[in-house]
Amino acid sequence: MALLEVEGLTRFFGGLRAVGDLTFGVEPGEILGLIGPNGAGKTTVFNLVTGFVRPSGGKVRLAGRDVTGLKPHRLARMGIARTFQIVKPFPGLPVRENVTLAAFLRHPRRSHAEAAADEILGRLGLAARAGTLAGQLTLMDQKRLEMAKALATGPRVLLLDEPMGGLNPAEVDQASELVLGIRASGVTVVLVEHVMKAIMRMSDRVLVMRQGERIALGAPAEVVRDPEVIAAYFGKRAA
Amino acid sequence: MTRRSAVAWVAAAALLAGLPLVVKNSFFLHVCILVFLWTVLGEAWNALGGYAGQVSFGHAAFFGVGAYVTIVLFLKADVAPWWGIPVGGAAAAAFAVPFGLITFRLKGPYFSLATLAVAELTKLVALNWEWATNGSTGYLVTHLPPLRLGGLTVDWETKTPFYLAALSLLVVAMGTIGWLSRSRLGAWLTAIRENDEAAEAVGIDTVRAKVLTLALSAFLAGMGGGFYAFYFRYVDPDAVLNIGLSMEMVFIAMVGGLGTVGGPFIGAVFLTTVGEAMREKFQVGHLVFYGLFMMLVIRFLPEGIWGRVRRAIRRAPAVEVSRGAA
Repeated sequence: MALLEVEGLTRFFGGLRAVGDLTFGVEPGEILGLIGPNGAGKTTVFNLVTGFVRPSGGKVRLAGRDVTGLKPHRLARMGIARTFQIVKPFPGLPVRENVTLAAFLRHPRRSHAEAAADEILGRLGLAARAGTLAGQLTLMDQKRLEMAKALATGPRVLLLDEPMGGLNPAEVDQASELVLGIRASGVTVVLVEHVMKAIMRMSDRVLVMRQGERIALGAPAEVVRDPEVIAAYFGKRAA
Repeated sequence: MTRRSAVAWVAAAALLAGLPLVVKNSFFLHVCILVFLWTVLGEAWNALGGYAGQVSFGHAAFFGVGAYVTIVLFLKADVAPWWGIPVGGAAAAAFAVPFGLITFRLKGPYFSLATLAVAELTKLVALNWEWATNGSTGYLVTHLPPLRLGGLTVDWETKTPFYLAALSLLVVAMGTIGWLSRSRLGAWLTAIRENDEAAEAVGIDTVRAKVLTLALSAFLAGMGGGFYAFYFRYVDPDAVLNIGLSMEMVFIAMVGGLGTVGGPFIGAVFLTTVGEAMREKFQVGHLVFYGLFMMLVIRFLPEGIWGRVRRAIRRAPAVEVSRGAA
Protein backbone atom coordinates (compact mmCIF):
# COMPACT_ATOMS: atom_id res chain seq x y z
CA MET A 1 0.00 0.00 0.00
CA ALA A 2 1.21 3.49 -0.76
CA LEU A 3 2.41 5.45 2.27
CA LEU A 4 0.94 8.71 0.99
CA GLU A 5 -2.09 8.63 -1.28
CA VAL A 6 -3.58 11.58 -3.09
CA GLU A 7 -6.94 11.04 -4.73
CA GLY A 8 -8.83 13.48 -6.92
CA LEU A 9 -7.12 16.43 -5.23
CA THR A 10 -8.53 19.75 -6.47
CA ARG A 11 -7.97 23.36 -5.56
CA PHE A 12 -9.46 26.51 -7.02
CA PHE A 13 -8.12 30.01 -6.42
CA GLY A 14 -11.14 32.05 -7.42
CA GLY A 15 -11.89 30.93 -10.98
CA LEU A 16 -8.43 29.48 -11.52
CA ARG A 17 -8.02 25.76 -11.09
CA ALA A 18 -4.51 25.41 -9.67
CA VAL A 19 -4.79 21.66 -9.12
CA GLY A 20 -7.43 19.50 -10.79
CA ASP A 21 -8.41 15.94 -9.98
CA LEU A 22 -4.86 14.87 -9.21
CA THR A 23 -4.28 11.26 -8.15
CA PHE A 24 -1.00 9.60 -7.24
CA GLY A 25 0.59 7.46 -4.53
CA VAL A 26 4.00 7.56 -2.90
CA GLU A 27 5.50 4.16 -2.07
CA PRO A 28 7.38 3.74 1.20
CA GLY A 29 11.10 4.40 0.79
CA GLU A 30 10.95 5.85 -2.70
CA ILE A 31 11.94 9.22 -4.08
CA LEU A 32 9.09 10.58 -6.16
CA GLY A 33 10.05 13.47 -8.39
CA LEU A 34 7.38 16.07 -9.13
CA ILE A 35 8.06 18.15 -12.24
CA GLY A 36 6.23 20.39 -14.63
CA PRO A 37 6.50 23.79 -16.27
CA ASN A 38 6.19 26.92 -14.11
CA GLY A 39 2.64 27.34 -12.86
CA ALA A 40 1.84 23.63 -13.17
CA GLY A 41 0.70 23.54 -9.54
CA LYS A 42 3.60 21.71 -7.91
CA THR A 43 3.93 23.99 -4.91
CA THR A 44 0.15 24.06 -4.50
CA VAL A 45 0.19 20.26 -4.28
CA PHE A 46 2.75 20.58 -1.47
CA ASN A 47 0.62 23.19 0.28
CA LEU A 48 -2.45 20.97 -0.01
CA VAL A 49 -0.72 17.82 1.23
CA THR A 50 0.93 19.60 4.17
CA GLY A 51 -2.18 21.50 5.25
CA PHE A 52 -1.08 25.06 4.46
CA VAL A 53 -3.91 25.33 1.91
CA ARG A 54 -7.23 23.51 2.24
CA PRO A 55 -8.27 21.41 -0.75
CA SER A 56 -11.45 22.35 -2.64
CA GLY A 57 -11.98 18.62 -3.18
CA GLY A 58 -10.32 15.22 -3.04
CA LYS A 59 -8.56 13.20 -0.38
CA VAL A 60 -5.11 12.88 1.14
CA ARG A 61 -4.30 9.69 3.06
CA LEU A 62 -1.27 8.87 5.14
CA ALA A 63 -0.78 5.14 5.69
CA GLY A 64 -4.45 4.61 4.89
CA ARG A 65 -5.72 7.29 7.26
CA ASP A 66 -7.67 10.25 5.93
CA VAL A 67 -5.73 13.42 6.77
CA THR A 68 -7.43 15.79 4.31
CA GLY A 69 -7.61 19.39 5.50
CA LEU A 70 -5.77 18.92 8.79
CA LYS A 71 -3.62 21.78 10.05
CA PRO A 72 0.12 21.74 9.28
CA HIS A 73 1.13 21.10 12.91
CA ARG A 74 -1.15 18.07 13.12
CA LEU A 75 0.29 16.67 9.90
CA ALA A 76 3.84 17.30 11.14
CA ARG A 77 3.02 15.29 14.26
CA MET A 78 1.65 12.48 12.08
CA GLY A 79 4.86 12.42 10.07
CA ILE A 80 4.53 14.73 7.08
CA ALA A 81 7.32 17.32 6.94
CA ARG A 82 8.20 19.86 4.28
CA THR A 83 10.73 22.44 3.24
CA PHE A 84 9.88 25.73 1.58
CA GLN A 85 11.06 26.84 -1.84
CA ILE A 86 11.75 30.27 -0.36
CA VAL A 87 13.51 29.16 2.81
CA LYS A 88 11.82 30.00 6.10
CA PRO A 89 14.40 29.82 8.89
CA PHE A 90 13.95 31.37 12.34
CA PRO A 91 16.41 34.10 11.26
CA GLY A 92 17.25 35.67 14.61
CA LEU A 93 18.10 32.36 16.31
CA PRO A 94 21.26 30.26 16.06
CA VAL A 95 21.24 27.28 13.70
CA ARG A 96 21.25 24.80 16.58
CA GLU A 97 18.23 26.46 18.21
CA ASN A 98 16.40 26.41 14.85
CA VAL A 99 16.74 22.64 14.69
CA THR A 100 16.11 22.16 18.41
CA LEU A 101 12.75 23.93 18.08
CA ALA A 102 11.79 21.37 15.44
CA ALA A 103 13.13 18.46 17.51
CA PHE A 104 10.89 19.49 20.44
CA LEU A 105 8.05 17.82 18.53
CA ARG A 106 9.42 14.35 19.36
CA HIS A 107 11.58 15.23 22.38
CA PRO A 108 9.78 17.27 25.05
CA ARG A 109 12.94 17.66 27.16
CA ARG A 110 15.34 20.34 25.98
CA SER A 111 18.45 18.23 26.55
CA HIS A 112 17.03 15.41 24.41
CA ALA A 113 15.88 17.83 21.71
CA GLU A 114 19.33 19.42 21.60
CA ALA A 115 21.01 16.03 21.31
CA ALA A 116 18.70 15.12 18.41
CA ALA A 117 19.44 18.48 16.78
CA ASP A 118 23.21 17.97 17.09
CA GLU A 119 22.95 14.55 15.47
CA ILE A 120 21.05 15.98 12.50
CA LEU A 121 23.37 19.00 12.17
CA GLY A 122 26.30 16.58 11.95
CA ARG A 123 24.54 14.48 9.35
CA LEU A 124 23.78 17.48 7.14
CA GLY A 125 27.21 19.07 7.48
CA LEU A 126 26.05 22.01 9.57
CA ALA A 127 27.86 21.21 12.83
CA ALA A 128 30.41 23.98 12.26
CA ARG A 129 27.58 26.49 11.79
CA ALA A 130 25.66 25.51 14.96
CA GLY A 131 26.26 28.88 16.63
CA THR A 132 25.66 31.08 13.57
CA LEU A 133 22.41 33.04 13.34
CA ALA A 134 20.24 31.36 10.71
CA GLY A 135 19.68 34.65 8.88
CA GLN A 136 23.41 34.96 8.21
CA LEU A 137 23.94 31.60 6.46
CA THR A 138 24.84 31.20 2.78
CA LEU A 139 22.00 29.98 0.54
CA MET A 140 23.43 26.45 0.44
CA ASP A 141 23.57 26.31 4.22
CA GLN A 142 20.05 27.77 4.46
CA LYS A 143 18.86 24.92 2.24
CA ARG A 144 20.67 22.48 4.52
CA LEU A 145 19.03 24.07 7.55
CA GLU A 146 15.64 23.84 5.89
CA MET A 147 16.16 20.07 5.51
CA ALA A 148 17.60 19.76 9.02
CA LYS A 149 14.51 21.39 10.55
CA ALA A 150 12.19 19.15 8.57
CA LEU A 151 14.16 16.02 9.52
CA ALA A 152 14.19 17.00 13.19
CA THR A 153 10.41 16.59 13.29
CA GLY A 154 10.94 12.86 12.69
CA PRO A 155 8.98 12.56 9.43
CA ARG A 156 7.84 9.47 7.53
CA VAL A 157 7.37 11.49 4.36
CA LEU A 158 9.46 14.53 3.54
CA LEU A 159 8.35 16.96 0.83
CA LEU A 160 11.25 18.98 -0.53
CA ASP A 161 10.31 22.08 -2.50
CA GLU A 162 13.19 22.94 -4.86
CA PRO A 163 16.08 22.12 -2.52
CA MET A 164 18.50 22.91 -5.37
CA GLY A 165 16.93 26.13 -6.63
CA GLY A 166 19.56 28.86 -6.91
CA LEU A 167 22.54 26.60 -6.19
CA ASN A 168 25.65 26.29 -8.37
CA PRO A 169 26.52 22.93 -10.01
CA ALA A 170 28.91 21.87 -7.24
CA GLU A 171 26.28 22.67 -4.62
CA VAL A 172 23.62 20.80 -6.62
CA ASP A 173 25.78 17.67 -6.30
CA GLN A 174 26.09 18.22 -2.55
CA ALA A 175 22.34 18.70 -2.23
CA SER A 176 21.71 15.50 -4.24
CA GLU A 177 23.93 13.58 -1.83
CA LEU A 178 21.94 14.99 1.10
CA VAL A 179 18.61 13.94 -0.42
CA LEU A 180 19.91 10.43 -1.18
CA GLY A 181 21.23 10.25 2.39
CA ILE A 182 17.82 11.21 3.78
CA ARG A 183 16.15 8.46 1.75
CA ALA A 184 18.80 5.98 2.87
CA SER A 185 17.89 6.82 6.49
CA GLY A 186 14.39 5.46 5.80
CA VAL A 187 12.46 8.62 5.01
CA THR A 188 10.21 8.65 1.94
CA VAL A 189 10.85 11.71 -0.24
CA VAL A 190 8.71 13.75 -2.60
CA LEU A 191 10.87 16.19 -4.54
CA VAL A 192 9.92 19.23 -6.59
CA GLU A 193 12.86 20.34 -8.67
CA HIS A 194 13.71 22.22 -11.83
CA VAL A 195 17.26 20.87 -12.10
CA MET A 196 16.40 18.05 -14.54
CA LYS A 197 19.70 16.21 -14.42
CA ALA A 198 19.41 15.86 -10.65
CA ILE A 199 15.78 14.83 -10.53
CA MET A 200 16.14 12.28 -13.33
CA ARG A 201 19.12 10.72 -11.61
CA MET A 202 17.66 10.58 -8.11
CA SER A 203 13.97 9.81 -8.57
CA ASP A 204 12.59 6.28 -8.62
CA ARG A 205 9.50 7.59 -10.35
CA VAL A 206 8.57 10.96 -11.78
CA LEU A 207 5.16 12.61 -11.79
CA VAL A 208 4.73 15.24 -14.50
CA MET A 209 2.12 17.97 -14.08
CA ARG A 210 0.76 20.55 -16.47
CA GLN A 211 -1.89 23.13 -15.62
CA GLY A 212 -2.74 21.36 -12.39
CA GLU A 213 -3.18 17.93 -13.95
CA ARG A 214 -1.14 14.79 -14.07
CA ILE A 215 0.11 14.06 -17.58
CA ALA A 216 2.57 11.26 -16.84
CA LEU A 217 3.78 9.07 -14.00
CA GLY A 218 6.54 6.50 -14.28
CA ALA A 219 10.23 5.75 -14.31
CA PRO A 220 12.35 8.76 -15.38
CA ALA A 221 13.54 7.07 -18.60
CA GLU A 222 9.94 6.35 -19.70
CA VAL A 223 8.61 9.73 -18.76
CA VAL A 224 11.12 11.68 -20.86
CA ARG A 225 10.04 9.78 -23.96
CA ASP A 226 6.33 10.45 -23.35
CA PRO A 227 5.02 12.63 -26.21
CA GLU A 228 2.72 14.58 -23.88
CA VAL A 229 5.63 15.44 -21.58
CA ILE A 230 7.76 16.58 -24.51
CA ALA A 231 4.84 18.66 -25.75
CA ALA A 232 4.41 20.24 -22.32
CA TYR A 233 8.04 21.32 -22.18
CA PHE A 234 8.94 21.99 -25.82
CA GLY A 235 5.61 22.49 -27.57
CA LYS A 236 3.49 20.25 -29.82
CA ARG A 237 5.81 20.34 -32.83
CA ALA A 238 8.74 18.92 -30.87
CA ALA A 239 6.60 15.95 -29.85
CA MET B 1 18.82 29.06 35.62
CA THR B 2 22.16 28.54 37.32
CA ARG B 3 22.21 28.04 41.08
CA ARG B 4 24.11 31.29 41.53
CA SER B 5 21.53 33.40 39.72
CA ALA B 6 18.70 31.64 41.59
CA VAL B 7 20.36 32.59 44.89
CA ALA B 8 20.76 36.16 43.64
CA TRP B 9 17.05 36.40 42.76
CA VAL B 10 15.93 35.02 46.14
CA ALA B 11 18.32 37.38 47.97
CA ALA B 12 16.99 40.35 45.99
CA ALA B 13 13.39 39.43 46.84
CA ALA B 14 14.27 39.02 50.55
CA LEU B 15 16.03 42.39 50.60
CA LEU B 16 13.03 44.08 49.01
CA ALA B 17 10.70 42.38 51.51
CA GLY B 18 12.74 43.80 54.40
CA LEU B 19 12.79 47.33 52.99
CA PRO B 20 9.68 48.67 54.79
CA LEU B 21 11.28 47.78 58.15
CA VAL B 22 14.00 50.33 57.42
CA VAL B 23 12.34 52.88 55.17
CA LYS B 24 9.29 54.62 56.64
CA ASN B 25 8.92 57.34 54.00
CA SER B 26 5.48 56.60 52.62
CA PHE B 27 6.03 58.44 49.32
CA PHE B 28 9.07 56.25 48.68
CA LEU B 29 7.03 53.12 49.45
CA HIS B 30 4.28 54.43 47.17
CA VAL B 31 6.77 54.75 44.31
CA CYS B 32 8.02 51.21 45.01
CA ILE B 33 4.46 49.89 44.90
CA LEU B 34 3.88 51.60 41.57
CA VAL B 35 7.12 50.17 40.22
CA PHE B 36 6.13 46.65 41.33
CA LEU B 37 2.64 46.98 39.87
CA TRP B 38 3.96 48.29 36.56
CA THR B 39 6.54 45.53 36.48
CA VAL B 40 3.81 42.91 36.88
CA LEU B 41 1.89 44.49 34.01
CA GLY B 42 5.02 44.81 31.88
CA GLU B 43 5.86 41.13 32.51
CA ALA B 44 2.31 40.17 31.58
CA TRP B 45 2.51 42.08 28.31
CA ASN B 46 6.03 40.81 27.64
CA ALA B 47 4.93 37.15 27.69
CA LEU B 48 2.86 37.75 24.59
CA GLY B 49 4.53 40.78 23.02
CA GLY B 50 8.16 40.04 23.81
CA TYR B 51 8.37 36.26 23.60
CA ALA B 52 5.65 35.47 21.07
CA GLY B 53 6.03 38.75 19.14
CA GLN B 54 2.29 39.44 19.23
CA VAL B 55 1.95 43.15 19.93
CA SER B 56 -1.24 43.75 21.90
CA PHE B 57 -2.68 47.25 22.31
CA GLY B 58 -5.56 45.89 24.37
CA HIS B 59 -4.14 44.63 27.64
CA ALA B 60 -6.13 47.21 29.61
CA ALA B 61 -9.11 44.90 29.01
CA PHE B 62 -7.53 42.18 31.17
CA PHE B 63 -6.45 44.67 33.80
CA GLY B 64 -10.02 46.02 33.87
CA VAL B 65 -11.70 42.62 34.06
CA GLY B 66 -9.43 41.69 36.97
CA ALA B 67 -10.13 44.98 38.74
CA TYR B 68 -13.91 44.75 38.32
CA VAL B 69 -14.21 41.09 39.29
CA THR B 70 -12.08 41.61 42.39
CA ILE B 71 -13.91 44.69 43.59
CA VAL B 72 -17.41 43.39 42.83
CA LEU B 73 -16.65 40.14 44.67
CA PHE B 74 -15.50 42.20 47.63
CA LEU B 75 -18.39 44.66 47.71
CA LYS B 76 -21.21 42.22 46.87
CA ALA B 77 -19.98 38.93 48.33
CA ASP B 78 -17.43 39.96 50.94
CA VAL B 79 -14.65 38.05 49.23
CA ALA B 80 -11.38 39.18 50.80
CA PRO B 81 -8.73 40.70 48.54
CA TRP B 82 -6.25 37.84 48.96
CA TRP B 83 -8.84 35.52 47.38
CA GLY B 84 -10.41 38.11 45.12
CA ILE B 85 -7.18 39.12 43.36
CA PRO B 86 -6.32 35.61 42.08
CA VAL B 87 -9.97 35.05 41.16
CA GLY B 88 -9.88 38.34 39.25
CA GLY B 89 -6.78 37.08 37.45
CA ALA B 90 -8.52 33.81 36.61
CA ALA B 91 -11.54 35.72 35.28
CA ALA B 92 -9.26 37.81 33.08
CA ALA B 93 -7.62 34.59 31.80
CA ALA B 94 -11.04 33.11 31.00
CA PHE B 95 -11.96 36.33 29.21
CA ALA B 96 -8.69 36.09 27.24
CA VAL B 97 -9.67 32.81 25.55
CA PRO B 98 -12.50 34.18 23.35
CA PHE B 99 -10.51 37.44 23.03
CA GLY B 100 -7.61 35.43 21.61
CA LEU B 101 -9.70 33.18 19.40
CA ILE B 102 -11.15 36.30 17.77
CA THR B 103 -8.01 38.43 17.45
CA PHE B 104 -5.49 35.67 16.58
CA ARG B 105 -7.32 35.10 13.31
CA LEU B 106 -5.38 38.19 12.27
CA LYS B 107 -1.63 38.59 12.05
CA GLY B 108 0.91 41.35 12.61
CA PRO B 109 -0.42 44.92 12.69
CA TYR B 110 -3.96 43.67 11.99
CA PHE B 111 -3.81 41.65 15.19
CA SER B 112 -2.61 44.72 17.11
CA LEU B 113 -5.47 46.84 15.79
CA ALA B 114 -7.99 44.12 16.59
CA THR B 115 -6.81 44.00 20.22
CA LEU B 116 -7.24 47.76 20.42
CA ALA B 117 -10.78 47.43 19.09
CA VAL B 118 -11.75 44.61 21.45
CA ALA B 119 -10.37 46.54 24.43
CA GLU B 120 -12.38 49.63 23.47
CA LEU B 121 -15.48 47.46 23.09
CA THR B 122 -14.85 46.08 26.57
CA LYS B 123 -14.74 49.61 27.91
CA LEU B 124 -18.01 50.51 26.18
CA VAL B 125 -19.64 47.41 27.62
CA ALA B 126 -18.39 48.37 31.11
CA LEU B 127 -19.84 51.87 30.68
CA ASN B 128 -23.23 50.52 29.66
CA TRP B 129 -23.78 47.39 31.74
CA GLU B 130 -24.66 49.39 34.81
CA TRP B 131 -26.13 46.37 36.65
CA ALA B 132 -22.67 44.80 36.71
CA THR B 133 -20.26 47.72 36.66
CA ASN B 134 -22.21 50.68 38.03
CA GLY B 135 -21.51 52.41 34.70
CA SER B 136 -19.38 55.53 34.68
CA THR B 137 -19.88 56.03 38.43
CA GLY B 138 -17.79 52.96 39.20
CA TYR B 139 -17.13 51.41 42.58
CA LEU B 140 -15.54 52.81 45.69
CA VAL B 141 -14.01 50.77 48.51
CA THR B 142 -14.71 52.56 51.78
CA HIS B 143 -13.21 50.12 54.25
CA LEU B 144 -10.86 47.18 54.13
CA PRO B 145 -11.50 44.02 56.15
CA PRO B 146 -9.48 43.61 59.34
CA LEU B 147 -6.79 40.97 59.02
CA ARG B 148 -4.65 39.29 61.67
CA LEU B 149 -1.45 37.56 60.66
CA GLY B 150 0.76 35.84 63.25
CA GLY B 151 -0.88 37.75 66.10
CA LEU B 152 -0.38 41.13 64.43
CA THR B 153 -3.25 43.23 63.18
CA VAL B 154 -2.57 44.50 59.70
CA ASP B 155 -2.72 48.27 59.54
CA TRP B 156 -4.30 49.16 56.18
CA GLU B 157 -3.59 52.84 56.77
CA THR B 158 0.13 52.31 56.20
CA LYS B 159 1.74 51.44 52.89
CA THR B 160 3.47 48.32 54.24
CA PRO B 161 0.75 45.70 53.59
CA PHE B 162 0.26 47.00 50.05
CA TYR B 163 3.99 47.05 49.53
CA LEU B 164 4.25 43.38 50.54
CA ALA B 165 1.24 42.39 48.44
CA ALA B 166 2.67 44.16 45.38
CA LEU B 167 6.03 42.50 45.99
CA SER B 168 4.33 39.08 46.14
CA LEU B 169 2.66 39.74 42.80
CA LEU B 170 6.02 40.83 41.42
CA VAL B 171 7.63 37.57 42.54
CA VAL B 172 4.78 35.56 41.00
CA ALA B 173 4.99 37.48 37.72
CA MET B 174 8.76 37.32 37.37
CA GLY B 175 8.79 33.68 38.45
CA THR B 176 6.14 32.83 35.85
CA ILE B 177 7.95 34.61 33.05
CA GLY B 178 11.27 33.12 34.17
CA TRP B 179 9.71 29.68 33.96
CA LEU B 180 8.15 30.52 30.58
CA SER B 181 11.47 31.66 29.13
CA ARG B 182 12.98 28.24 29.89
CA SER B 183 10.01 26.06 29.01
CA ARG B 184 9.13 24.35 25.79
CA LEU B 185 6.18 26.72 25.44
CA GLY B 186 8.62 29.64 25.64
CA ALA B 187 10.78 28.09 22.92
CA TRP B 188 7.68 27.62 20.77
CA LEU B 189 6.77 31.27 21.26
CA THR B 190 10.19 32.32 20.00
CA ALA B 191 9.62 30.19 16.91
CA ILE B 192 6.24 31.85 16.37
CA ARG B 193 7.82 35.28 16.73
CA GLU B 194 10.54 34.42 14.21
CA ASN B 195 8.28 32.85 11.57
CA ASP B 196 4.71 31.75 12.15
CA GLU B 197 4.48 29.47 9.07
CA ALA B 198 7.81 27.79 9.74
CA ALA B 199 6.65 27.19 13.31
CA GLU B 200 3.51 25.42 12.04
CA ALA B 201 5.65 23.41 9.63
CA VAL B 202 7.76 21.98 12.46
CA GLY B 203 4.67 20.87 14.34
CA ILE B 204 3.89 23.80 16.62
CA ASP B 205 0.19 24.44 17.22
CA THR B 206 0.62 28.18 16.85
CA VAL B 207 -2.96 29.19 17.66
CA ARG B 208 -3.04 27.08 20.82
CA ALA B 209 0.36 28.35 21.98
CA LYS B 210 -0.72 31.96 21.42
CA VAL B 211 -4.07 31.56 23.18
CA LEU B 212 -2.43 29.80 26.15
CA THR B 213 0.13 32.57 26.43
CA LEU B 214 -2.55 35.22 26.17
CA ALA B 215 -4.45 33.55 29.02
CA LEU B 216 -1.31 33.44 31.15
CA SER B 217 -0.58 37.06 30.31
CA ALA B 218 -4.17 38.05 31.12
CA PHE B 219 -4.00 36.22 34.44
CA LEU B 220 -1.02 38.35 35.52
CA ALA B 221 -2.55 41.57 34.17
CA GLY B 222 -5.88 40.73 35.86
CA MET B 223 -4.18 40.23 39.23
CA GLY B 224 -2.50 43.59 38.69
CA GLY B 225 -5.95 45.08 38.13
CA GLY B 226 -7.30 43.45 41.29
CA PHE B 227 -4.42 44.86 43.31
CA TYR B 228 -4.98 48.29 41.77
CA ALA B 229 -8.63 48.20 42.87
CA PHE B 230 -7.66 47.75 46.52
CA TYR B 231 -4.70 50.09 46.50
CA PHE B 232 -6.48 53.02 44.88
CA ARG B 233 -9.89 51.88 46.22
CA TYR B 234 -11.67 53.15 43.15
CA VAL B 235 -12.63 51.42 39.92
CA ASP B 236 -14.36 52.97 36.94
CA PRO B 237 -14.01 52.44 33.18
CA ASP B 238 -11.74 55.46 32.71
CA ALA B 239 -9.37 54.30 35.43
CA VAL B 240 -9.04 50.59 34.68
CA LEU B 241 -10.04 50.19 31.02
CA ASN B 242 -8.11 53.15 29.71
CA ILE B 243 -6.20 52.78 26.45
CA GLY B 244 -3.33 54.62 28.18
CA LEU B 245 -2.84 51.57 30.40
CA SER B 246 -2.42 49.33 27.38
CA MET B 247 0.13 51.71 25.93
CA GLU B 248 2.16 51.98 29.14
CA MET B 249 2.44 48.19 29.29
CA VAL B 250 3.85 48.22 25.76
CA PHE B 251 6.29 51.00 26.60
CA ILE B 252 7.52 49.38 29.82
CA ALA B 253 8.33 46.12 28.07
CA MET B 254 9.95 47.91 25.12
CA VAL B 255 12.03 50.33 27.17
CA GLY B 256 13.13 47.58 29.54
CA GLY B 257 13.76 44.90 26.96
CA LEU B 258 11.45 42.75 24.84
CA GLY B 259 11.55 39.06 25.65
CA THR B 260 13.60 39.38 28.84
CA VAL B 261 12.62 38.60 32.44
CA GLY B 262 14.43 41.57 34.00
CA GLY B 263 13.44 44.10 31.34
CA PRO B 264 9.99 45.13 32.57
CA PHE B 265 11.39 45.85 36.06
CA ILE B 266 13.99 48.20 34.59
CA GLY B 267 11.36 49.71 32.32
CA ALA B 268 8.98 50.25 35.25
CA VAL B 269 11.72 51.87 37.37
CA PHE B 270 12.66 54.28 34.61
CA LEU B 271 9.15 55.17 33.57
CA THR B 272 7.79 55.55 37.10
CA THR B 273 10.67 57.71 38.30
CA VAL B 274 10.85 59.80 35.14
CA GLY B 275 7.08 60.07 35.11
CA GLU B 276 6.82 61.14 38.76
CA ALA B 277 9.80 63.53 38.60
CA MET B 278 8.42 65.26 35.53
CA ARG B 279 4.96 65.41 37.05
CA GLU B 280 6.42 67.35 40.00
CA LYS B 281 8.34 69.82 37.82
CA PHE B 282 5.80 70.35 35.06
CA GLN B 283 2.21 69.93 36.14
CA VAL B 284 1.08 70.64 32.62
CA GLY B 285 2.59 68.73 29.74
CA HIS B 286 4.77 66.33 31.72
CA LEU B 287 3.72 63.54 29.37
CA VAL B 288 5.77 65.24 26.64
CA PHE B 289 8.98 64.30 28.47
CA TYR B 290 7.70 60.84 29.04
CA GLY B 291 7.17 60.45 25.30
CA LEU B 292 10.53 62.01 24.49
CA PHE B 293 12.27 59.51 26.77
CA MET B 294 10.46 56.69 25.02
CA MET B 295 11.52 57.92 21.59
CA LEU B 296 15.16 58.16 22.64
CA VAL B 297 15.17 54.59 23.94
CA ILE B 298 13.43 53.17 20.87
CA ARG B 299 15.82 55.10 18.58
CA PHE B 300 19.09 54.34 20.36
CA LEU B 301 18.39 51.16 22.37
CA PRO B 302 15.93 49.16 20.26
CA GLU B 303 16.57 46.03 22.32
CA GLY B 304 15.70 47.95 25.52
CA ILE B 305 17.85 48.94 28.46
CA TRP B 306 18.06 45.51 30.05
CA GLY B 307 18.45 43.83 26.66
CA ARG B 308 21.47 46.04 25.93
CA VAL B 309 23.04 45.50 29.36
CA ARG B 310 22.55 41.76 29.11
CA ARG B 311 24.24 41.65 25.71
CA ALA B 312 27.19 43.63 27.10
CA ILE B 313 27.54 41.15 29.98
CA ARG B 314 27.31 38.12 27.73
CA ARG B 315 29.71 39.40 25.12
CA ALA B 316 32.85 38.67 27.17
CA PRO B 317 32.44 34.87 27.45
CA ALA B 318 31.22 34.67 23.84
CA VAL B 319 34.55 36.07 22.61
CA GLU B 320 36.45 33.44 24.56
CA VAL B 321 34.44 30.65 22.99
CA SER B 322 35.12 31.81 19.44
CA ARG B 323 38.84 32.20 20.23
CA GLY B 324 38.89 28.64 21.56
CA ALA B 325 37.18 27.35 18.42
CA ALA B 326 39.68 29.09 16.17
